[in-house]
Amino acid sequence: MSLIEIKDLKVHYPIRSGFWNRITDSVKAVDGITFNIEAGETYGLVGESGSGKSTTGKSVVGLEKVTSGSILYNGKDITKRDNRRKLDYNRDVQMIFQDSLSSLNPRKRIEDIIAEPLRNFEHLSKDDEKLRVLQLLNIVGLDADALYKYPHQFSGGQRQRIGVARAVATNPKLIIADEPVSALDLSVQAQVLNFMKKIQREFGISYLFISHDLGVVRHMCNNIAIMNRGRLVEIGTREDIYNHPLHIYTKRLLAAIPETNVNQRVAHRASRLAVEKIYEEQQDKYYDENGMAYPLVQVSPTHSVALPETIAKQLASQEGEVQA
Amino acid sequence: MAENFEKHSDISAADLARLNQEAQAEATPSTAKIIWNEFKADKPAMAALFIIVGFIAFVMIGALFINTPKMMETNIMDYFDKPFTTDFWLGADSGGRSVAKQLIVGSRNSIGIAIGLTVISSTVGICWGLISGYFGGYIDWGMQRVYDFTMMLPMLMMIIVLVTIIPHYNAVSLTLIFSLFYWEGTSRLIRSRTLAETQKDYVAASKTSGTSNWKIIFQGIMPNISSLIIIDTTLSFAENIGVETGLSYLGFGLPTQTPSLGTMIANANDPTNITLYWWTWLPAALEIIVLCLSISYIGQVLRRAADASQRQGAAD
Repeated sequence: MSLIEIKDLKVHYPIRSGFWNRITDSVKAVDGITFNIEAGETYGLVGESGSGKSTTGKSVVGLEKVTSGSILYNGKDITKRDNRRKLDYNRDVQMIFQDSLSSLNPRKRIEDIIAEPLRNFEHLSKDDEKLRVLQLLNIVGLDADALYKYPHQFSGGQRQRIGVARAVATNPKLIIADEPVSALDLSVQAQVLNFMKKIQREFGISYLFISHDLGVVRHMCNNIAIMNRGRLVEIGTREDIYNHPLHIYTKRLLAAIPETNVNQRVAHRASRLAVEKIYEEQQDKYYDENGMAYPLVQVSPTHSVALPETIAKQLASQEGEVQA
Repeated sequence: MAENFEKHSDISAADLARLNQEAQAEATPSTAKIIWNEFKADKPAMAALFIIVGFIAFVMIGALFINTPKMMETNIMDYFDKPFTTDFWLGADSGGRSVAKQLIVGSRNSIGIAIGLTVISSTVGICWGLISGYFGGYIDWGMQRVYDFTMMLPMLMMIIVLVTIIPHYNAVSLTLIFSLFYWEGTSRLIRSRTLAETQKDYVAASKTSGTSNWKIIFQGIMPNISSLIIIDTTLSFAENIGVETGLSYLGFGLPTQTPSLGTMIANANDPTNITLYWWTWLPAALEIIVLCLSISYIGQVLRRAADASQRQGAAD
């Protein structure tokens, strides 16, 4: 059984307008997505800004009100608040936020910030709690003198590591990492990511890694889901997605990865333009009449793509994949 | 599970005391220390603090030794006695009553009402704004309609009517009547900041850490808008001294037998008092000016202490 099973999750926001302020339409931030997260793996959720990946992450951790669908954890639907409370759900599922400064309360000392989940879920004695906080700081590579300081006294990378320490404090099973490094510069990105990997190895934590940076995702994730306009367009292992992308949206994302090899600049530019041309010309093939992605079709045991079955089969054979 | 942490970190219980001590040495100074440093850097504000604290303590204690009903008895022989005599330090008014004693008891009454009013109205206003802004939705809608309704009432007229229909009102009931109306400004101000603050990630982080809504509101969000709260409270304290004083001046504040700063300033209604008997109204007027100025100086220091970029005090 998977750690988390997300089934047909929908998050719609109402649009109110007119004299009576009635609901006239809705923004479909997340529109029926289904995937599972296994224990101990890093699941990548990739998409452009506004594709609904953060909303999905917030729904899984229980911060977003879900319109319909279910998220199963230990066989219980945790989209209901009562179930979350009964399970002490957030003891097992925690979150790392994108903006390290605003996610740490500026008026609290580091000790209080990291101890917050411990105080709510574990009720340790004062000394045990302090010891645990010191151990957590040590695990993320910070000194003990951080204990009584305030968040603004740390650099961005240090703050994000404090965020990681808080998320790990209760030894959770799953951590939602919502673009954890996109606000950091490149050298610090690697540092934070390596701490996250180290913690995963040591504590056997799963990550739902939300990002738009495909380079980082490749470094971190075993399984990847590509999101576009609130729907999943492609699911697969790292190899499936990076070596055999089927959906045009995935191809566009991959083409957008910056290349540092200047010798091949002309060739890269040509391939990017080719992908863009296919996208311009064949949009109606990849999206339905409303411009939305099709339901997912399985093309191999690990690989699914949101296309009509015939086209999916045809593309898959072109890519030379083994048929399911 | 605790073993799990032991295994992957080279810190054990034995190190706790030593590391704690190291951390204490590096600790950031407390808020009280920062505020005190800020006062030390600003001499006028320091003087203002001593004036306020000293004066309030003086009138609170001094008023205990004055027999108010006896003091308020009319004594025709002392009609407008001159100030700076042994009997009347600040002279006497038209009833032959000591201005100095009235000033002490009147200040006690006025400041007491102002403090009571500030405590009640700010507490209600802050809670109202925080709860309304944090929960949003239907709760916010309902609470803001109550706010709109009380805002719509003509405040001064309502207070005058209430004072007139309540038979035996005193300082306490007057404070409560004022409190019915003076929480509004604070609540709207606090709500607007809370709305912005609630959207920040640290609130979401507290929610995923399992903290209850009330704890998030009062221990998470409230400290973050404390600078706003402190400034609003000090300024509304200065304003509230004016509220009671103004109403008593108009004759709708405290009953005539209860001295207050307002009733004393009301002596200036009479042209002869203004020109000839200046001692009946000038001390009270000066006192209000000095109090309000001092409070605003203190408010400025508190504002600077709350905002690190404006601080003038030494770092440590």
